[in-house]
Amino acid sequence: MSLDMRPAPETAGSRSTSPTARSTWRASRGIVVFGLIIVAAAVFTVLIRPDGRESRRLDPADSSLAGSMALAELLRDRGVTVDRVDSAQAAYDKSLDAGDRLLLITDTLFVDERRLADIQGDRIIVGGYSDLDVLAPGLRVQPGQSSRERSRDPGCDLPAAKAAGSVHIGGLVMNGPQGAVGCYPAGEGSSLVSYTEASRTITVVGSSGFMTNQRLAEDGNAALALDLLGSAKAVTWLVAPDEPPVGTLPGEDGESLYGLMPESIPWAVWMSVITVLLVAFWRGRRLGPVVVERLPVVVRAAETVEGRGRLYRSRRARERAADSLRAGTVDRLTPRLGLGSGAGRQELVAAVAVRTGQDAQQVGAALYGPPPADDAALVALAGYLDVIERNVSEH
Amino acid sequence: MVLTGRAGLVAAIGVVVVLLAPQPGAALAGVCLLLLAAIILDLVFAGAVRPLRLHRSGDRLVRLGGQATVELVVENPGRRRVRGVLRDAWPPSAGASPRSQKLDVPAGERRRLVVTLTPTRRGDRASVAVTVRSLGPLGLAGRQGSHSSPWGVRVLPPFLSRKHLPSRLARLRELDGQHPALVRGQGTEFDSLREYVVGDDVRSIDWRATARRHDVVVRTWRPERDRRVLIVLDTGRTSAGRVGDAPIPLAGAAASGGGLLVRPDARPVPGWPRLDWSMDAALLLAALAARAGDQVDFLAYDRAVRAWVAGASRTELLASLVNSMAPIEAELIEADSQGMVAAVLSRAKRRCLVVLLTDLNPAALDEGLMPVLPQLSSRHLVLVAGVSDPRVAAMAARKGTAEEVYDAAAAEQAQLGRRRITARLRRHGVEVVDAPPEDIAPALADAYLALKAAGRL
Repeated sequence: MSLDMRPAPETAGSRSTSPTARSTWRASRGIVVFGLIIVAAAVFTVLIRPDGRESRRLDPADSSLAGSMALAELLRDRGVTVDRVDSAQAAYDKSLDAGDRLLLITDTLFVDERRLADIQGDRIIVGGYSDLDVLAPGLRVQPGQSSRERSRDPGCDLPAAKAAGSVHIGGLVMNGPQGAVGCYPAGEGSSLVSYTEASRTITVVGSSGFMTNQRLAEDGNAALALDLLGSAKAVTWLVAPDEPPVGTLPGEDGESLYGLMPESIPWAVWMSVITVLLVAFWRGRRLGPVVVERLPVVVRAAETVEGRGRLYRSRRARERAADSLRAGTVDRLTPRLGLGSGAGRQELVAAVAVRTGQDAQQVGAALYGPPPADDAALVALAGYLDVIERNVSEH
Repeated sequence: MVLTGRAGLVAAIGVVVVLLAPQPGAALAGVCLLLLAAIILDLVFAGAVRPLRLHRSGDRLVRLGGQATVELVVENPGRRRVRGVLRDAWPPSAGASPRSQKLDVPAGERRRLVVTLTPTRRGDRASVAVTVRSLGPLGLAGRQGSHSSPWGVRVLPPFLSRKHLPSRLARLRELDGQHPALVRGQGTEFDSLREYVVGDDVRSIDWRATARRHDVVVRTWRPERDRRVLIVLDTGRTSAGRVGDAPIPLAGAAASGGGLLVRPDARPVPGWPRLDWSMDAALLLAALAARAGDQVDFLAYDRAVRAWVAGASRTELLASLVNSMAPIEAELIEADSQGMVAAVLSRAKRRCLVVLLTDLNPAALDEGLMPVLPQLSSRHLVLVAGVSDPRVAAMAARKGTAEEVYDAAAAEQAQLGRRRITARLRRHGVEVVDAPPEDIAPALADAYLALKAAGRL
């Protein structure tokens, strides 16, 4: 009974299926050309853009909507010197110059606010509100309150505000210390507070929108801004620095994190990146193709029967379950008792009763009685049917 | 191009060098250039993969459960030694081992590698590709390429029921005149005359022949021969259901692992498809019938003819049967009984025994076979063999709790339907064999022997 194992013929040989340089180029040239087009388009777009810099809010050198170049130019036209600075040190150096000088603070995020507070002269604050307790001592800001920026009437006696009339303003809701002037009322306070503290005038404005190029021409915005800033001969205009000085430690030396690091660390990081790339390439290269296979379905033949059982169970279909059990028992008993397939109920019950010696009524109730009332009765019925069958086959 | 772990290691050492070097920038450039130079050197001096020539030999056929060995001869016509690893990629169920192996072929020489296949299921398995990774002298980088070196192995049905063959052949000999115990009666045909020896049945003395000669002559009898048996295998959806326990454990394990629809919490799906059990039974019947001198044909059908073996000689029969059975899988479509009957009728001109291996599924048979059965049974003797599910029988027997009783009722319902369809088939004059998977092959063989003894073929 051996299956004939035919001798295998020697095959003709093999054929390389790896792509050659030519086939790789042929397959990928479309993608390469597409990629080149995209790169060229990107380069072209960057080149034709007039100014690559992003807009810088309230910067006197920025002509975008958020900048304040228009205001700065207007001030210069009026003979006010505008000095743009981006650090507390620079602002302090400027303050040493003689003359009537005003400090405009638009941002204090990267600035040492205590140093700033030491600078002499009047002070206008339109930003860096988180440091108000240092820069504007005595001022109370309504916590959690903020008014919408809209056109508001001055409602105060401050000359600049009175002259300007309604101004696009809002933001912080503030209350000044004793003797302060609050303008542009909003909520339970004002959007502009001006007061004198230690022989200098501190003016805090709740929002800075009125000074931007976008809003300067509206309402009395320009008038307010010019009146506030134009009162001095020179303005030290503090803006956020171009490059945030990341990691600069606020110490005596002002040493940065990079400065403290050994010189070789960045180079080692680059070498680590190269190492990771090499290891990734090593692990990522598969030895040959992934082989896929069409597998046959895996389904148990009994699943339909199990499903029907679960259906009975979930519906508590005792009647159907009992019917099935009884039909099965009757089907097996009939030939064993020597009855034909046409035998009636009474005949079968009588034959079972005679053979097993059990009560005919009980047997009849088990085989043809009403459906069981609960699960326990169903289990009992199944057990009793088994007993009948066993008795019939034994006797 | 490939890199090895060694390249990664060298780069990692480079990180330390850069960290400690007095001039880290220069050190970085130095390490990178050195590594690059080494990799390029390795790539240049690695043996070329493309010109390699592969030759195969080995087994083409293997029984499920057996092992096949396939040899791969790697010939290196290039000028450099090819050193590295080789992977012969086979489908997962081919059970190829080892997955990859070391390779070292000097220039102009050839080396032989052996891959052992332990298939986990029936059918044709083919090698997809042979991939060679050839490393350079420093072992930092290398070249890699694939070759197509076609080789297929056909995994045959295991014919596990052949262990039942000797006992059934003995029974066949009992029917035959070769055995001292002569069986005479319907279903036997006159064989020859021979001299009377003590012990012969006196009733078999041929008085007419005795009168012509001086010796007492007896007639000998033998079972009828040269009958036709047509085995029809239903490969429709009902044959896909798995029953019993897989006799080859690996095959069952692979099947359970491969099924995506199997929930991970469900216990591993046991068993073999009904189709495989039916094939096993068909092989035993074919072997027996061929020994008994009958002509065996084989048809596999669902909605089209999947396999057809006809007119095979006694010696070639089993080989051609397993060969044609090997690639057959159950199709997930309803079998077309009408087409099947037509196919049988067009192929079997003379009266024959049609053994239909299918599932005794009442719903499927009611709609499919029952209406067309008279066409078949009027011209041929029909035997329907179905593999029953032992799991259903076990469910019917468990009645401990309410849940089990509901399951038992469902199982009882299924069994009742099966018994009813069996009774209806018998009323049509059809023989029915309904047995659990392990018993279907001997049961079918016994049914065949009974028919033969009764002379009904």
